Amino acid sequence: MSDQRQRQVDAIRRHIGEVENDLVDELVAGRIDRREFLRRGSVLGLSLSSLGVLAGCAAPNVTRVSPPQTKPPKAGGTIRTGIVAPAAALDPIMISDEGGLAVLGQSAQYLVWSDKNLTLRPVLAESWTHDHTGRVWTFKIRRGVSFSDGTPMTAEDVAATFNRLSDPKVGSNALSNFDGVLSKGNTKAIDPYTAQFTLDAPNGNFPYLVSSDNYNSVVLPKNYDGGWDKTFLGTGPWKLESFTPNQGVSYGRNPRYWGQPTVAERSEVTFYAEEQAQTLGILGNQVDVVAHYSVSGGRALITNPDVRTTQFRSSSHRQIHMRTDKEPFADKRVRQAMALLLDRRALVNGLLATKSDYGNDSPFAPVFQSTNQSVRQRQLNVAMAKQLLEAAGKGAGFSTQLLTLTHFELPDLAQVVQNDVSVAGINLKLSILDPGSYYGSSKFGTSPWLDSTMGITDYGHRGVPNLLLTAPLSSKGPWNAAHFRNPQYDQLVAHYVAALDLGAQRAAAGKIQELLLDETPVMFPYFYYFLTGARLNVSGVETTAMGHVDLSRAGFA
Amino acid sequence: MTRFIAKRLGLGLITLWLLSVLVFFGTQVLPGDVARRILGPFASPSAVNALNKQLGTDKSIFVQYLNWITGLFHGDLGTSVATRTSVSSIVFPALWHSAKLAILAFIIVVPLGILGGVVAALYEGRFRDRLISVGGLSATTVPEFVWSVVFILVFALWLGILPSTATAPPGSGFLTQIEYLVLPALCLVFVLFGYIARMARAGTIESLEADYTRTAVIKGLPYRTVVRRHVLRNSLLPTIAVVATQAGYLIGGLVAIELVFNYQGIGQVLYRAAIQKDFPVLQSAVLIVGVVYLVATLLADLAYSLLNPRIRFESSS
Repeated sequence: MSDQRQRQVDAIRRHIGEVENDLVDELVAGRIDRREFLRRGSVLGLSLSSLGVLAGCAAPNVTRVSPPQTKPPKAGGTIRTGIVAPAAALDPIMISDEGGLAVLGQSAQYLVWSDKNLTLRPVLAESWTHDHTGRVWTFKIRRGVSFSDGTPMTAEDVAATFNRLSDPKVGSNALSNFDGVLSKGNTKAIDPYTAQFTLDAPNGNFPYLVSSDNYNSVVLPKNYDGGWDKTFLGTGPWKLESFTPNQGVSYGRNPRYWGQPTVAERSEVTFYAEEQAQTLGILGNQVDVVAHYSVSGGRALITNPDVRTTQFRSSSHRQIHMRTDKEPFADKRVRQAMALLLDRRALVNGLLATKSDYGNDSPFAPVFQSTNQSVRQRQLNVAMAKQLLEAAGKGAGFSTQLLTLTHFELPDLAQVVQNDVSVAGINLKLSILDPGSYYGSSKFGTSPWLDSTMGITDYGHRGVPNLLLTAPLSSKGPWNAAHFRNPQYDQLVAHYVAALDLGAQRAAAGKIQELLLDETPVMFPYFYYFLTGARLNVSGVETTAMGHVDLSRAGFA
Repeated sequence: MTRFIAKRLGLGLITLWLLSVLVFFGTQVLPGDVARRILGPFASPSAVNALNKQLGTDKSIFVQYLNWITGLFHGDLGTSVATRTSVSSIVFPALWHSAKLAILAFIIVVPLGILGGVVAALYEGRFRDRLISVGGLSATTVPEFVWSVVFILVFALWLGILPSTATAPPGSGFLTQIEYLVLPALCLVFVLFGYIARMARAGTIESLEADYTRTAVIKGLPYRTVVRRHVLRNSLLPTIAVVATQAGYLIGGLVAIELVFNYQGIGQVLYRAAIQKDFPVLQSAVLIVGVVYLVATLLADLAYSLLNPRIRFESSS
């Protein structure tokens, strides 16, 4: 490193906090790579320029991979995108589905954008900092931004947005994310361009909750009172031209947009009720982009020479829960045996056409930065599984029901699991319900999902594992279908959530991963990739594993 | 005749009322909670309760039925709980879309089916008869979604001469709209041709063997005139009944075709409403399909009575 660069680094390090300096030390020692440094640094609020300089401290042997070269798109034209049809009214506060959030993100924006690598990028927030406890987070709001109707956006709009989302009376879909984290009234506008969040408890990953990962959190005017689908009001690059419910939306450039104008002149988004029709749509040149497709519904696109597939890791996964308070799974050795009988390699290669990471029976997906990679990967081991069953008094096998729902590859997964465990004499009787019947009221006692002895449930992507660690696994978790109650686990999760520095997060993660491997209340067979399809003449499409599709830089070669 | 129509209309109204009761209470037994369905399984209970209150779905089903039926009498189909827009703004455009597809399919398949049936009857037992009868029946037995995929693969993906979707871009002209509807209409032609042709064939054979046909031939009328004036008129009676019952299917039963072609017809509206537990839309759409069935069968009865004087006289007496 040159003397001048060293002086720059030293100057920055004098002005940043202890947690941030620890992160730089991790980078210098080679315990994290540049990508991990950039990702964590962005969460802590280090500016892009500081991150750029500090990243130069990385060990020289770090491999740098150049991104694939694609021709920059030409300005103009209409980009046509197919998305899954929004399931409900286009109300930013209530939206709970991929189609809805994809539409929301065209004309409305977040304080922060969580990209496909889970690195946070400033959007309506220019920068952010936290106090030494991680309980108070302060965001500097971008100046010169206005909504598409011309109203200027200020910190008051930001405060109103988050107080609305955290108000139980409003009933926003973001409430489950803010539960125990942010209460109504605790977001304040300090001045027109500074918003401050005082959390219920310290949280080292809080910026993700004001990012695109918490997809309801687009900034709306302080006086917003519904009717978004009439205006599509927001600060984003696109402005509504026309909207036909259940059919699609047309957009033009937003003349008041604070950033660079969109590359394409117009954007048309078509809604598809079925994935098969969406696949046929791009193959038949009716759309240029398919924002998201699954292996089960869009296998034809993976190898099609006219379609370029972009893939990246996500934390989307399936959970196979086993009731820890009920026979036959009350003994943890039986649960361990079940997990050892699962042929994950065959699942990933066959069911998911290799478009997936292996799961290791905890919510810590390989994509998460805090996942402790030193924890051993659970492998197929039939002999050990049989020994464990024998020791638990179930050497002759047993019968139970496996419940799941008609959703993407879930029925196929249920069949594979049924087949895998049959080698140990375990007979799983499959029961496959429609989603409404499976989830029921989503309350204990009246929900087949939460009451079943064994079941398979779909979980979407999250930028950080916090919610996945608490809701389905903690003792008081509202989605704890395994009825897993372990005080030690609850304590470890509390430590993890409060940890500000990456080292502490990884240490807590390792202990949680080991504990879950031992207890195995839930099997996590895989974390599947997010797939986007675009015709070969299209470039500049950016998607996130949450289901956002940014078309502002998209255009034709 | 007026009495006949009045009687049919009265019965139709009773049927529709029974249908409204059945549909309303039938949809209530569908599993799951409306707000839970909208917000997803992972939404917090307080969010679910708040939304149910906003939507009015926390009230008793009798109150909800009363509100719905009162609205219907005032011409208000209600508000969709899923999209929060008026039900009429969802259902009527979809009905128009379905009607366009049904009309195009009818324009192609009815003359084709009748012609096929008559030709098969005239060549009964010979190659042309077997080709039409067996071919038509085989085409009918293949599910419509299979035809949809096959036609899209051949005409849209391989040959690239027709679009893979049925929804024309906004502002498209008449001919463009037809171009987009050709493939789904062709699927329907393949599905319906066999039915219509078989009915027309059976009716024609029966008429050809009837005494009045023999008399007409014996008295020296040219064979074409016999077929046109005596055989066709009588042979069409059973065909009309088949065509009328297919009208309801074409308007409300094309779920698979509409999904594959991404076409916003009544079938897709019904499917989405059932999935989303959007009861106001589901109930109104089913009721509208019921009205279509009733109107179609009423028109068929009228046509039947016009072609068959016996029906006319029986109903008058």
